[in-house]
Amino acid sequence: MKSIEDCKYSFPTLSRKIAGKNLIYLDNAATSLKPFNVINAEKNYYMLNNSNIHRANHQLANESTQMYEGARKKVKEFINAKKISEIIFTKGATESLNLLAYSFAISNFFEKDEEILIPISEHHANFVPWQQISKLFNIKINYYVPEKGVFNEDNFLNLINKKTKLISFTGLSNVTGQIINIKKIVEKAKNINPEIITVVDGAQYVPHIPTDFQDLNVDFIVFSSHKMLGPMGVGVLYGKSEILEKMSPFLYGGEMIDYVTKENSTFNVLPYKFEAGTPNVAGVIAFAQAIEFLNELGMKEIYEHTKKLTKYALKKLSELDFVEIYGPKDDSHYSIISFNLKNIHPHDVSHMLNDLSGIAVRSGHHCAQLLLNNMNIKSSCRASFYFYNTVEDVEALIEGIKKVKEWIK
Amino acid sequence: MSLEDLYSEIILDYSKNPQFKKIIENAEEYHGHNSSCGDEITLYLNEKDGKILDISFDGHGCIISQASAAMMCEILKGRSVENAKSILENILRMSRGEDYNKEVVEDIEIFEDIKNFPMRVKCFTLSWHTIENFLKNKGADK
Repeated sequence: MKSIEDCKYSFPTLSRKIAGKNLIYLDNAATSLKPFNVINAEKNYYMLNNSNIHRANHQLANESTQMYEGARKKVKEFINAKKISEIIFTKGATESLNLLAYSFAISNFFEKDEEILIPISEHHANFVPWQQISKLFNIKINYYVPEKGVFNEDNFLNLINKKTKLISFTGLSNVTGQIINIKKIVEKAKNINPEIITVVDGAQYVPHIPTDFQDLNVDFIVFSSHKMLGPMGVGVLYGKSEILEKMSPFLYGGEMIDYVTKENSTFNVLPYKFEAGTPNVAGVIAFAQAIEFLNELGMKEIYEHTKKLTKYALKKLSELDFVEIYGPKDDSHYSIISFNLKNIHPHDVSHMLNDLSGIAVRSGHHCAQLLLNNMNIKSSCRASFYFYNTVEDVEALIEGIKKVKEWIK
Repeated sequence: MSLEDLYSEIILDYSKNPQFKKIIENAEEYHGHNSSCGDEITLYLNEKDGKILDISFDGHGCIISQASAAMMCEILKGRSVENAKSILENILRMSRGEDYNKEVVEDIEIFEDIKNFPMRVKCFTLSWHTIENFLKNKGADK
């Protein structure tokens, strides 16, 4: 039985020394560390199986197909989807969102006066695809603008009307760390317009928060494997099958075909209709091991631990009068803290945290330029936690920040 | 490679030096930005008969980008466009870790270590890439 206290030893990267000190990894919102069982699964696949799936019937191919489809079942259970065919593997949350946007557009989902509603605070991956299909296909789009970067659920809901065909929003902001009440928004949005399609960017949400997709009742949720211990290059598009059935494929090629003539093609059933070409088989199989790891620890424990850590970090950071913290700073603030040191550029801060203290944080605009404009800043530092981070890591961050301030004086 | 190698006293001083951080009225303006971090710079240039008579910059960025811009203005003020092109070429070679002429880049050589910080090279080169657009429009081979 794994426990949060001992789990550090499962992550080989944490044994690295950076600037002569033990690495303190606080860039989990960018990508999580990977445990041994995930790394081994990826390696073993290429050493022992290495076969294309759903095609040949030799033993290697049989095993590979079983492992790949086993991973799909594992994902389905992890998020409690209704059907296994509702789990589509992509190369990441970004591809999942692009798939959705383009498929909706080319499937003529939008009547002339129907519109898309997007908060401007979204990650570029959940903003630009909608903005672009709006331009390319002449679809109306409306934007919700938060105040000082903080998402207000009621103000967002007020913009929804009977003409709102689609909303897409994050469940957990990658900049402000704000958790959004997905269930409430979906329920109220459907009350206003029962025909509305709801999309949630779960890239930050799903790795952290115990999730029952049927209970949330969202039509689509996207997420990435690499932010939840799995390999890069694997993502999931979850969607309700009754809508997915009506959507045109996004990519054409092998495996997604039913029958091809010179004049026309018919397409494979769900989920294969949306999985053209050879997928990242090794990555998907290793992703199943990541879910296994999370299940063994327990998503509830992961959430509680990180919640406590965030609260502690917010308290300690707010005691430093030269540090400005962004985001809600209340109970909805979770796992991600964006901040700046007064009069010191975040690039210098992150560089010095690394070189003076071995601490890895992100600096920049975090792929959310509109949100940073909304908060009236150009860039920030961002510390983001996962379950293997500890109170000592938070204390090291605080000491590290003081050192930077001292160094630059 | 220690922090002091990159953030030397000279670089820290230049990053705070206000001498070239100003707007020149009625000058040519060139804008540059660093899309990955949001840093922005505007260069102001007065050129006559192939000579850079006056140069300054405005904008915001980290210590490296601010010091780099200030040193660039200092070295280029009063230089011919042709000389500036040669300096630029050698500076960019230096930033990529390629062979370059140390005599041509003069004091900017203190940034040589930037080649070892791939994530910071773009902070250093922001002002240089911005002036590249100006230099392209000037001189004999325009």
